[in-house]
Amino acid sequence: MITAVVFLPLIAAIIAGIMAFMRHGADEHRSHSIDRLSQWVTCGALLLSAAGSISIFFDVALGGNSYTYELMTWIDSGTFEVSWALKVDSLTAVMLIVVTGVSSMVHIYSIGYMHHDRHVPRFMAYLSLFTFFMLMLITADNLIQMFFGWEGVGLASYLLIGFWYHKPTANAAAIKAFVVNRVGDFGFALGIFCVFVIFQSVDLDTIFAAAPGHANDTLEVFSVEFDALTIACLLLFVGAMGKSAQLGLHTWLPDAMEGPTPVSALIHAATMVTAGVFMVARLSPVFEFSDVALAVVTIVGASTCIFAATIACTQNDIKRVIAYSTCSQLGYMFFACGVSAYSAGIFHLTTHAFFKALLFLGAGAVIHAMSDEQDMRKMGGIWKLIPVTYALMWIGNLALAGIPPFAGFYSKDIVLEAAYAANTGVGTYAFYMGLLAAFLTAFYSWRLLFMTFHGAPRADEKTMAHVHESPMVMIGPLLVLATGAVLAGWVMYDNFVGGSVVQFWGNAILVLENHPALENARYVPTWVKLSPLVVGGVGIVLAYIMYIAKPDLPARMAETFRPIYLMSFNKWYVDELYDKIFVRPAFYLGRQLWKVGDGTLIDGVGPDGIARAVRMLARRVSALQSGYVYHYAFGMMIGVVTLITWYLFTSAG
Amino acid sequence: MPLSEMPNLVPALPELFLAVAILALLMIGVFLKSDTADNAMRTSRQIWMLSILTLVLTALLVLTVSGERLYTFNGMFVTDQFAVFMKILILGGAGLTLLISRDYLEMNSMGRFEYGILCIFATLGMLMMVSANDLISLYVGLEMQSLSLYVLAAFRRDEQRSTEAGLKYFVLGALASGMLLYGSSLIYGFSGTTNFTVMAEMFAHGGDYAPSLGVIIGIVFILAGLAFKVSAVPFHMWTPDVYEGAPTPVTAFFAVAPKIAGLALFLRVMTGPFGDLVDQWQQIIVFVSIASMVLGAFAAINQTNIKRMMAYSSIGHVGYALIGLAVGTETGVYGVLVYLGIYMFMTVGTFACILCMRRGERMVEDISDLAGLSKSQPLLAMALTIFMFSMAGIPPLAGFFGKFYVFMAAVEAQLYGLAVIGLVTSVVGAFYYLRIIRVVYFDEAGDPFDKAVSRPIAFVVTLSAAIMVFFILYPALLLDPAAAAASALFGG
Amino acid sequence: MDDLLLDYLPILIFLGIAIAIAAIAVVGSMIVARQHPDGEKMSAYECGFDAFVDARNKFDVRFYLVAILFIIFDLEVAFLFPWAISLSNVGMLGFWSMMVFLGILTIGFVYEWRKGALEWE
Repeated sequence: MITAVVFLPLIAAIIAGIMAFMRHGADEHRSHSIDRLSQWVTCGALLLSAAGSISIFFDVALGGNSYTYELMTWIDSGTFEVSWALKVDSLTAVMLIVVTGVSSMVHIYSIGYMHHDRHVPRFMAYLSLFTFFMLMLITADNLIQMFFGWEGVGLASYLLIGFWYHKPTANAAAIKAFVVNRVGDFGFALGIFCVFVIFQSVDLDTIFAAAPGHANDTLEVFSVEFDALTIACLLLFVGAMGKSAQLGLHTWLPDAMEGPTPVSALIHAATMVTAGVFMVARLSPVFEFSDVALAVVTIVGASTCIFAATIACTQNDIKRVIAYSTCSQLGYMFFACGVSAYSAGIFHLTTHAFFKALLFLGAGAVIHAMSDEQDMRKMGGIWKLIPVTYALMWIGNLALAGIPPFAGFYSKDIVLEAAYAANTGVGTYAFYMGLLAAFLTAFYSWRLLFMTFHGAPRADEKTMAHVHESPMVMIGPLLVLATGAVLAGWVMYDNFVGGSVVQFWGNAILVLENHPALENARYVPTWVKLSPLVVGGVGIVLAYIMYIAKPDLPARMAETFRPIYLMSFNKWYVDELYDKIFVRPAFYLGRQLWKVGDGTLIDGVGPDGIARAVRMLARRVSALQSGYVYHYAFGMMIGVVTLITWYLFTSAG
Repeated sequence: MPLSEMPNLVPALPELFLAVAILALLMIGVFLKSDTADNAMRTSRQIWMLSILTLVLTALLVLTVSGERLYTFNGMFVTDQFAVFMKILILGGAGLTLLISRDYLEMNSMGRFEYGILCIFATLGMLMMVSANDLISLYVGLEMQSLSLYVLAAFRRDEQRSTEAGLKYFVLGALASGMLLYGSSLIYGFSGTTNFTVMAEMFAHGGDYAPSLGVIIGIVFILAGLAFKVSAVPFHMWTPDVYEGAPTPVTAFFAVAPKIAGLALFLRVMTGPFGDLVDQWQQIIVFVSIASMVLGAFAAINQTNIKRMMAYSSIGHVGYALIGLAVGTETGVYGVLVYLGIYMFMTVGTFACILCMRRGERMVEDISDLAGLSKSQPLLAMALTIFMFSMAGIPPLAGFFGKFYVFMAAVEAQLYGLAVIGLVTSVVGAFYYLRIIRVVYFDEAGDPFDKAVSRPIAFVVTLSAAIMVFFILYPALLLDPAAAAASALFGG
Repeated sequence: MDDLLLDYLPILIFLGIAIAIAAIAVVGSMIVARQHPDGEKMSAYECGFDAFVDARNKFDVRFYLVAILFIIFDLEVAFLFPWAISLSNVGMLGFWSMMVFLGILTIGFVYEWRKGALEWE
């Protein structure tokens, strides 16, 4: 069952990939049927896979039958042993549902969204390939296999961001995503090495079993002693930061919106970017033994949460707003993990996957309706024209802002409560940041809603005339996701974070006795429970005042608080800073190494120099060949004399 | 005639058959009508076919008498697994080069029946060389081969370059023969025998005879004479001129059969009678090998004529093969044998491609003439590419394995310097092989060659290219006989 | 050392006598014979060559051909004499070897005849 779930997308990807090649040069009718076929194959495979995931969820998560399915040995070198194995426990089962569920919806949605594109099979192949790698990541039984999936999703993400490769911005964004992720992946790789050094193994079960015994190990780095597990965890967390776009390594995520919208929904909202959260949760038995690492996770998460939320308030590109929102929500998940409320983090991950995918796909539907317009300043006044999409966006936003009884309410509340209940400095910091972010979340969500759907139409007439409801193939998946966004919260609350939490998660997540944040979350004061709802409401009202009641207010406020506005609008100048610190010096260094180091020194002395010497030698040697017989005969005689003389002097002498 | 006096003719059966066949062919050729151009052409074609048939039959005979070591003619003639392996290679090389020669000869009004006969005459000499177990039979075989080759080089007697090639080859060859004879006489004078078996016993470690200076100098002279025949540096000077001047099919023949025979003789003489004097001659062979590799690699770079380039290339290849001899062990000889087997097909294939370089019924020989071949004749271009890659020793083509086995032998014998120089020169050599590929694929196309590729040439090109590519799939076909031959040479 | 040189003494004496006789012959003919220079003596021989010219000039290749053919059969005779004398010692093998040799030579002869090498024109 689990092999089918994991490998069906791969098979579908290969088939669709072959079709992509077949499509090349086919006539219109034929290429149309190829497109159709590729869509059928990939969607079929994904739906089957999703169905399998659901049955696994019931068996493993609810039935409590976790197992590891060994495929084959991968590397067997000395003490270093890695096998291909699929580890299925509650955590995996939850992620399986999220990944295959969202992925299959996105696949179906793409049929409609990519209808006019000329590279449908390629797109479907990439999507399925991504799904396969993601499944590989979440079912990984060892760190190397996880790294394989990790890099695989990075690759798929690169391919999909740059899917419209004729667009220079898309290419640049793809490269940026790839390079920034490389920083994170380098950390991850180092983390794996570090783990291997500590545990002599990369096998998860072995590591978890041995982790308590290594709690006080130290590693000597540059002749300074560090806590071994802390180093390993921090390095691994660097990897998570890269993949999950946390503060510092977040810059690629907004740019990644250059990819087609279904990609943004699947990869850059629901699944891949949550891989970091998943990884931290998966490695909870290790992270638990390093308070420093957990504190770092909390601080980074909380800071990202508020940082991204401030930027989202001023962006005008509909997808970028949602992208920064994603960034911010990922911050919630991380600080939940940081206060040892891993299950709360995963809970938020799950609900977020539904409503964020819904939001993205809804935004995609809007973009589709507006003839590929993404700028919210050129939208407005279309809610009557596309009521279904409008309603769905409302649901998504309500969930995002954490209004009951929508899914976001349950998960965000428990996250904030856990942070408060952690009763530590960083926990409190996280709580207040989270609270502030919740206010901003509500604000920018409704700002988006109002700017997009309400007010006077700001698009030109031709576009307005063309505004239409999306086809059923796009609306259908939206409805499914909306159902998730509405119900996921209270359906799963009890199992994920409520009374049955221990029984549900089983061995998948470890929380030490001295980290009772989740336990205590139930007993927090009432104001803590209510405050997220209140700030959410305030945010919505503020958005209403600014964008509906007094539409001229935002401009005036931007004028008054110009430095703050610019700071937020320009994303805190992080990109510019990186450009100055890393990119330009790197370019300069590269150019110097290329022109001077490689061109003049290495090439000049090495290949070019040798080649020149060879040619000269060749000319000399050919000059020996005069063409006169007596020269040749003389040469032979000299040869004999030389040989004999040499012999006489060396051997006989 | 009492049978007891009669020498055992069975070991020499292939050679005897070949000799009788040559005489018969000569008579047939001379008695067939050649009065008109048409008749002469027909005669030459018939003799051409019969010559190839003769070679095939001889090869079959060689295979039938193959087996254990046999001596005859008072120990002057020997046949063993080594001889069989070498003879098959020589006959194969001769047969294939003969096969691709027809069109050239007919097109350049060289269609005289003596061509085929001279070729197999030279082949007879080579077979004799391979089986020689005495300085005298060695010399007779060598001269029989050489005299035929002199004539072949000048076969296009109405062209200046061809006659010049013949004359140069003759004069220098005579000099080399003189050295060989002088060396032989020295050895005879100092050891009192011309027989290899007797010599081997005499020079063996633990024998009561310590090699005197005269013997060693004799060996050096014999070495010089043999080195001339395989065109090893510093006795290589004739090679580029003769290769360039001789008619192309003759060059192909030169590049294949005499090289194999000469190296066979080298192996036989150096490991047989002088096998235990390896310390004495090893350094000289090492020197000759290095010099050949280096010169072959460097001098070829500047060449514009493809035949001349192939001449230097063959000098280089001889250098690689001599690495195996310098090692002087069974693995070394094994390496040489594998190398020669692959070299034979590689070279024949390349020359078959060169023979396709015709433009308006005339041969062109410049490397630059190959430009645009990839467009006009893509299959031929691909075959040539395969041969060039193989010559450069790029895996997985067969040429790689040839080099691999000799280098491995050198490393096993701890002759690291030799192996390293071999590797370096292969890299340099790759330069000019790859240059041809560049010209074929990337240079501005010139006038295309004549499209018509005759069936024999197409056959040889396809066969050789297939062997280059598919060698890796079933290498045992060559490796097993080579191993058997190498162990036979060491009396195993 | 002396013994070795003594072995070669006859050769030295032989050389001396040879040089002496040659010198006597040349000098004697210069002194005794009458010198009668004449234009006819400078004219071409019957074979068509001038008496005094540079030896390195081209002449008809057919002369070479005849000379080479002559050498072959000359050598044949050179083999035949010792063979004929020692025929009683070399036995049947020796006899038949020479027959084979003559046979091969005959084939060569037939070939050159057919090719017209023996005809001057």
